[in-house]
Amino acid sequence: MLSLGSGGAKSTKPSFVSYVTPEEIKSEKEPQKKERHPNLLPGEVVFCSTNPILKYTQDDISQRGIFGTLLCTNFRVSFISDETPQEEPTQHFKNKLYGENDIPLMCVDCLYGVYDEKKKLITGGMLKNKYPSKMIIHCKDLRVFQFCLTFTKEEEAKKIFQGIVHHCLEPKSLKCVFAFSYANTKGPEMQRTQRTLMFDSQEDWSQEMKRTKGNCRIVTENQNFELSERLPKYFIIPAAVSDDDLSKFPGKGLPIWCWSHHSGCALFKASSLPVTQEDGVAQAWMERMLHAVAQTHLYSVKIEDLLETLPNIQDIQQSYTKFKQFFLIDNSTDFWMSDVKWFSSLENTGWLDIIRQCLQKAVEVVECLEKENTNVLITEEEGSDLCCVISSLVQIMMDPHCRTLTGFQNLVQKEWVAGCHAFLDRCNHLHQKDKECQSPVFLLFLECVWQLVQQHSPAFQFSETYLTVLSDSIHVPAFGTFLFNSAFQRESCLKHSQRGPLSWPAVWDWSMQFDCKAQELFINPLYAEKLKQEKVLRKVPRIKHQRQLSLPSSAFKTPPKKGFFKDEAESLKKMLRVKRFSRWMVPPDSPAVATRQFYEAWQQKPLDYHGLLLPCLDGPAMRLWMQRYLRWTPEAQILGGGSVAITSKLAELLGEVRALQRELAQKGWWDSMGEGHHRPQTMSLALVRTSLRLSSYFPFAASRNWSFKPVIPTGLLQSLMVTDKLASQEDETNEVISLV
Amino acid sequence: MLTGSKTTFKVKQMPDLKERIMNQSALHTRGRDMFGLCCLPGECVLQRAILVRKKLSPKEGGGWLSGTLFCTHFRVAFVPQDATKPDDNADPVLLGDHDVALASIEKVVAVGPSRTKLVTANSSLKFTPEKLVLYCRDLRILCFLFDRLTPDTQAVEITHTIAKTYQPLKPGTILSFQNAALGSIEMKQFLSNRQRDPSMAWFESPADWEQELERTGATGWRVSSVNDRFEMSTSLSRFNVVPQKVLDMELKRTFAHFSEGRIPRWCWRHRCGCDLLRTASFQNNIYHEKDDIRNLELILFGGHAECVVVDLGEEMPSLVDVQLAHVRLRALCLGDISSSVSIPDDKWLSSLEGTHWLDYARCCLRKAAEVACLLKRGHLTIVLQEPEDRDWNCVVASLVQVMCDPHCRTVAGFQGLVQKEWVTAGHRFLSRINYHRDSDKEEAPIFLLFLDCVWQLWAQFPACFQLSEEYLLGLHDSLLLPLYSTFLANCQRERSRRSQHLPPSYTPVNGLKALARAPAEEPTDTPYPPVWDWTLQYSSQRRALFTQPVGQPASPPVVLNGNLNTSPEPEWHSDGSPGSVFLLSRSAFSCPASLLPWRSSGGPGSYWKSHRRAPSSESLPALERLVKACYRAEPSPGAAASRDPHETLLPLLLGPCVCVWRTCYLRGVLHAQAFTYPMSSNTRHPMDQLAWEVERLRERLAEASGGHPPSRRQQEPRRLDSNLNRNANNGTFLFSSSSSSSSSSSSSSSSSSSSSPRTSQQENPGHFSGHPCVAPRSTSRDGTKHTFLFGRPPQTQAGHRYTTTPSAKLPRSSTSTGAKHH
Repeated sequence: MLSLGSGGAKSTKPSFVSYVTPEEIKSEKEPQKKERHPNLLPGEVVFCSTNPILKYTQDDISQRGIFGTLLCTNFRVSFISDETPQEEPTQHFKNKLYGENDIPLMCVDCLYGVYDEKKKLITGGMLKNKYPSKMIIHCKDLRVFQFCLTFTKEEEAKKIFQGIVHHCLEPKSLKCVFAFSYANTKGPEMQRTQRTLMFDSQEDWSQEMKRTKGNCRIVTENQNFELSERLPKYFIIPAAVSDDDLSKFPGKGLPIWCWSHHSGCALFKASSLPVTQEDGVAQAWMERMLHAVAQTHLYSVKIEDLLETLPNIQDIQQSYTKFKQFFLIDNSTDFWMSDVKWFSSLENTGWLDIIRQCLQKAVEVVECLEKENTNVLITEEEGSDLCCVISSLVQIMMDPHCRTLTGFQNLVQKEWVAGCHAFLDRCNHLHQKDKECQSPVFLLFLECVWQLVQQHSPAFQFSETYLTVLSDSIHVPAFGTFLFNSAFQRESCLKHSQRGPLSWPAVWDWSMQFDCKAQELFINPLYAEKLKQEKVLRKVPRIKHQRQLSLPSSAFKTPPKKGFFKDEAESLKKMLRVKRFSRWMVPPDSPAVATRQFYEAWQQKPLDYHGLLLPCLDGPAMRLWMQRYLRWTPEAQILGGGSVAITSKLAELLGEVRALQRELAQKGWWDSMGEGHHRPQTMSLALVRTSLRLSSYFPFAASRNWSFKPVIPTGLLQSLMVTDKLASQEDETNEVISLV
Repeated sequence: MLTGSKTTFKVKQMPDLKERIMNQSALHTRGRDMFGLCCLPGECVLQRAILVRKKLSPKEGGGWLSGTLFCTHFRVAFVPQDATKPDDNADPVLLGDHDVALASIEKVVAVGPSRTKLVTANSSLKFTPEKLVLYCRDLRILCFLFDRLTPDTQAVEITHTIAKTYQPLKPGTILSFQNAALGSIEMKQFLSNRQRDPSMAWFESPADWEQELERTGATGWRVSSVNDRFEMSTSLSRFNVVPQKVLDMELKRTFAHFSEGRIPRWCWRHRCGCDLLRTASFQNNIYHEKDDIRNLELILFGGHAECVVVDLGEEMPSLVDVQLAHVRLRALCLGDISSSVSIPDDKWLSSLEGTHWLDYARCCLRKAAEVACLLKRGHLTIVLQEPEDRDWNCVVASLVQVMCDPHCRTVAGFQGLVQKEWVTAGHRFLSRINYHRDSDKEEAPIFLLFLDCVWQLWAQFPACFQLSEEYLLGLHDSLLLPLYSTFLANCQRERSRRSQHLPPSYTPVNGLKALARAPAEEPTDTPYPPVWDWTLQYSSQRRALFTQPVGQPASPPVVLNGNLNTSPEPEWHSDGSPGSVFLLSRSAFSCPASLLPWRSSGGPGSYWKSHRRAPSSESLPALERLVKACYRAEPSPGAAASRDPHETLLPLLLGPCVCVWRTCYLRGVLHAQAFTYPMSSNTRHPMDQLAWEVERLRERLAEASGGHPPSRRQQEPRRLDSNLNRNANNGTFLFSSSSSSSSSSSSSSSSSSSSSPRTSQQENPGHFSGHPCVAPRSTSRDGTKHTFLFGRPPQTQAGHRYTTTPSAKLPRSSTSTGAKHH
């Protein structure tokens, strides 16, 4: 099986230089045979493996490569180098589940084959005889792998190619996902140790409601998903909704509570009612729902139909597909090509604009809650895509708790996982043929959060790295968190399994993927928490919970003076609160103008990292998430530069302070003041404190890339070449082969 | 108007204001205003509005600051309500933290309840403004809000006064502005007594050049004063560095061979032994005598056998392009309320691309990076050649040095660099900035482009710079103010004529054109201060931000006599065989026959041709490969364990890596402010805080191990007393330490407790200065904070203060204790 094929006489390229000549492999091959398997995870099965395969390193135009074994398991496509792995001490940020040469099956985005120098997209279907000389794998975390298949025997190459194509592209059933083999291996007790609320029990919901001082009721009727399969087991609705109304349009149109503002108004989300001709019934029912929403809080209601104002999920998918092409780069020259028209091509994808629109919509909702103290009901067809984006963003902007690590995880769990975002369909985990449902909605949300983190970094306890890792974890099929379409699907998979009840680890158990040191990088060292607490101790308590405790439950109470939008006329509101339902959708102005005014008013106040946070939405404010999109591109890495340089400097200084303190303590010159002393960051930055120079994409940059840096872009000549090449390349990629 | 104002207030043109002003001057004899505005001598307040609020950027703490708005005939000043009373004896500072000079204002816009109006000198205001927005040339936008309680007349009047007195720059008005600021007798006296900062090199004396030669370890060069009276070349500096082997007599004959007499001059030497030269283009229409040719070759090759001429004439954008790009960039960044045209947010990026400003910055950086790579090779002279040698040569030569020489990344070093490559080298500041608005064709913000390039480097390698973004901003803003001798002349000759240190030159050989405008403003005898006199321009709070605590270890002594130059220097010129010359143009090497005119012309030198070919074409591909591969020569990660401060900073120039200088270009745009810098300046950056703590702990450790606390009393500058000569202290670190442990502990606790984000301006260290226990800190904030002694033997512990490499971790005394401890 591992015999060396001299094969691939077809198109052996003379251009690459390999570190290991084929002769060497031959001699080493036998003794090493046992070691070629990766450390398989429990439940992982190897489907096929082939040796030798040449993996090109992406660094250079002169295509170098490493020989090794290519495997396909039920978890990943893995490449194991033939070279004895030198233990690199620099690999701090190692994922325990998959290494840098592993691609979890779900993470595969596209496969390309190079047939006679032509790059073609490979779609599913049975591939009979043909196999490409070179296989290019684009990953969803934007890595690009290139494997040369011409060094192995023909049937071996065919086998591995077909195996990978089959497992990565063919539609499969949910049961085949690796998580099902992996499940149950960890005891269920693990879940209890972590602090993230899972929102699968009544307590979690009531705890959350208590935290935000919500005033609604928890529905338990859906415990066994009798009401709807698209609703969580437990959810919260306005107290005034009667039980009759609850089951009228099962699962549709119910205003589901998301979050309560301290003034008493709240945010609800709902899926839209099925369009029927019998308008009367639905209309009346809807009116009752709105009444219920309003009566609870005695405020007016504003309805936001997200479908009308935001791009739909297909638009999002299209835009992202265009956008990511800029970062899925086969070799350096491609990268230089996209360079010349960088800004305008970035703009043309529209991705940044979609992010802006989402943020803007969220600001509009925030404005209603904060300034006008109206209840807001956001609706959407399913109620689980853009509704999740907007409601989560609103909470992040308004609730400082959601900006802590745990709070954020709670939020994702509450709005997305328990809130029945259709992860399975949206991420197309099962490689279904019709890709209409596919859309990176959750990624869009993370992008929006990243923009906020970027603009107000001291307000967030988690770091950019955390968001990047979270976005990667969507595609790791070992967790149950992002695997299902709904709570119902999860439950039924749990129960109706041949192997008895299953349990999956949650993504939030980060120790599954990273060790403690690496997890420290999830924390933002400049988080402004400490400064605030000192102040809080001295001054009027201003932290959310405390403030609300002082509020009587009556929602008529004037909002506490903290808000700068102290309401104008309380009586007016009372008058409006019943009457206004029928014309909620009266836009006062163009939304952009209103948002801008709101933002300006907010900006006139001193920035409070523990209060309301609004993003700036201007053209220059929307930025590219460099860490996520460019981390694998060696050309874009600044060695010894970037913001990491500052952080590491910080760490050095901190270490120095500690060393000096210790030294002083030894001499007895250091008195007790050390204890009460204020320290800007408590975490140890030991990880950053290596003597190595770090690249600007620090935790991700693989060290091997460092020796290869780009040549200086040469002149205008290249820029002239670019345009036609880019055009011709597009044509190539559009050629899709389907060898059914 | 008000041109001839002297020490007392004379209000001739403003009779309506006379009364108020007279009242004030009666109360305050030294020109101090009673509302807390600290006037310059001779400055008079024209109008005042109370209960005004100024909008603060988040960087300043966000929100509004209430106070009083003044309009004097020099500036628009804003004094916060609770500002501390200015000290009467303090040195005058031209601009306070909230002030803007009238000359910086470009547009005055009044915003009323329902309308917005651009106010000009002639326009009348028919409504009471609620808001006053000042658009500045340096891309700031200041926004003042009048309170309901502000008397309407005050709001209208001050808007009018500003609109009337701010000078849309045109010939003539600049003079009155300068007089308003610096024209008073007191001010003149003060300025003429002022001493220059001795810690930086000014390159106006041979000593500075010699020191530079020594610092870089260059040998074989000497400082020639042949141009001392600007007789050889009017635009060159008085002192130039040329090869030792060329005598002054011989040198004189070479000037004619270069346009404007700008002969190849040494400007810097790389550690690997490469010399960087710059020159203007050759004069082709001149007969090359055989004797001259030897000298020409000598000054071009300097002592090396190979010479690469980097042609900057063709590839760089034209001046018109740069100017256009800058105009477009300003239009894009300066969100303008008065004009309703605005770019939709989703088109912002392509509009940015359309300005080409970033392309030009990239172009400069790329060229400099190429040269920097080439310099690594050693044994070369690299000659930057540009037809005039007064624009792009300045940019590239100085960028190369910023990339390669850590000394140039400190404030003092950077200032020296600008002096060397721009000021004395004869960059046409006056024409390029176009203060007079009379030479629009020559206007091009080359220096701003250079600052942008430096910022790009800074943004990519923030830890490698001692100077901070704030410093670059300060310099950026000063450039647009026609007050500094540094920028008010086109060459050194004009500058020294004005300051009259030099007898007028007699027979200028060349470049009469450059003189044409100089006499126009000759009558003023105002001594303009150099821009580097920061204490004159900015308050100590602002200056404290100019440096950042991320310096590098004091540079080890440079490679003297070029240890790397182990190979014997080929004495090619003695046996008559010439060195090889390559042309680097469009990132490609070639050796065109016509490169050196004297070689190609059929003159006496033509017989060299046959000899020349062989060596040239051999090493050609090698050079090419060098530049292409230079990035790969980066040390492998294993070897990079210790950070080499001398490593070349090669910027990444890809689309996503070149950014907009937001804190400069976008700082005015109200909405863009939210993301400037997450920390307000009042709560100190954790980095600053830690750096300060390290410093303090070191001091205590030194105390502890030394046994006797060094007396700080005499060293602590009584800044209030010693006015004029304080500059002398700027360069070196005043080692101060707290006298007792209790005092320093209380100081730290007070600093930590006062770190709420809302602390207003005056809670800055300046506020503490009266408080005895915090004295060491306030000393350290006084501009002397992060000073590194580069190129000099570290004589004090200060040299090590921020070194973080293990080798130079602690001062001597403490390392011994550390060893004990382990």
